[in-house]
Amino acid sequence: MLSAQERVHIAQVWDLIAGHEAPFGAELLLRLFTAYPSTKTYFRHLGDSPDQARLLSHGRRLLEAVGVAVQHVDNLRAALSPLADLHAHVLCVDPTNFPLLIQCFQVVLASHLQGEFTVEMQAAWDKFLMGVAVVLTEKYR
Amino acid sequence: MVHLSAEEKEAVLGLWGKVNVDEVGGEALGRLLVVYPWTQRFFESFGDLSSADAVIGNPKVKAHGKKVLQSFSDGLKHLDNLKGTFAKLSELHCDQLHVDPENFRLLGNVIVVVLARHFGKDFNPDVQAAFQKVVAGVANALAHKYH
Repeated sequence: MLSAQERVHIAQVWDLIAGHEAPFGAELLLRLFTAYPSTKTYFRHLGDSPDQARLLSHGRRLLEAVGVAVQHVDNLRAALSPLADLHAHVLCVDPTNFPLLIQCFQVVLASHLQGEFTVEMQAAWDKFLMGVAVVLTEKYR
Repeated sequence: MVHLSAEEKEAVLGLWGKVNVDEVGGEALGRLLVVYPWTQRFFESFGDLSSADAVIGNPKVKAHGKKVLQSFSDGLKHLDNLKGTFAKLSELHCDQLHVDPENFRLLGNVIVVVLARHFGKDFNPDVQAAFQKVVAGVANALAHKYH
């Protein structure tokens, strides 16, 4: 589903994130909770006003999972199967929330990469992350 | 009507004052058409939209993006009455242009991403949150007169 060019753009951007999953993830979550406060209902274990330590810790887990997806673009279903089970049977995150997270992800990328954030990167990452969201919600019913 | 605190309003208007509305408009519309290619359905008369480069460089895309963002910019002067401000445009988009209001939400999100690109770290989570409220308010105002 992803073209060769799109894979290149995904890898290029991931190179900049790899090794920095915690701070990127923390920023992503902070943006999500600030712009879309209702999403906090899924993260009650982080507390009402999550501190930096919790954001870093959970943010790292989130971005590490994205890293798994990047390594397995050709086989997201198998690679993300345990996470799909988790989201379907335990977390039950309403599917409408994934585009909100994706929007915040784009903003994180854009604000860090700025002049280097090409339209092709934005398009590839949007398509890729939507693909991840579809896999994570596929077992819901 | 969009509910911004005094700080949010100040952050929005302060940042907007530094925006090159013409450039951001062209870029936002161009990115919309590339990232969400189905939105090209409204722009068949625009000529070459066959590649990302073609879209971004297309003069009609730039001109129309400029027009759209100027209108958005006017809206920022009337945050307390977005529905009134965009009433006529809402009717136009429903009756003449037949645009699904979901497209307003998509464009609003792209505008936010473009602002993040331009302003980097200054486009912090609080500023983003304020702008997400504004673009949602504008999208709702543009959808308000649909029937």
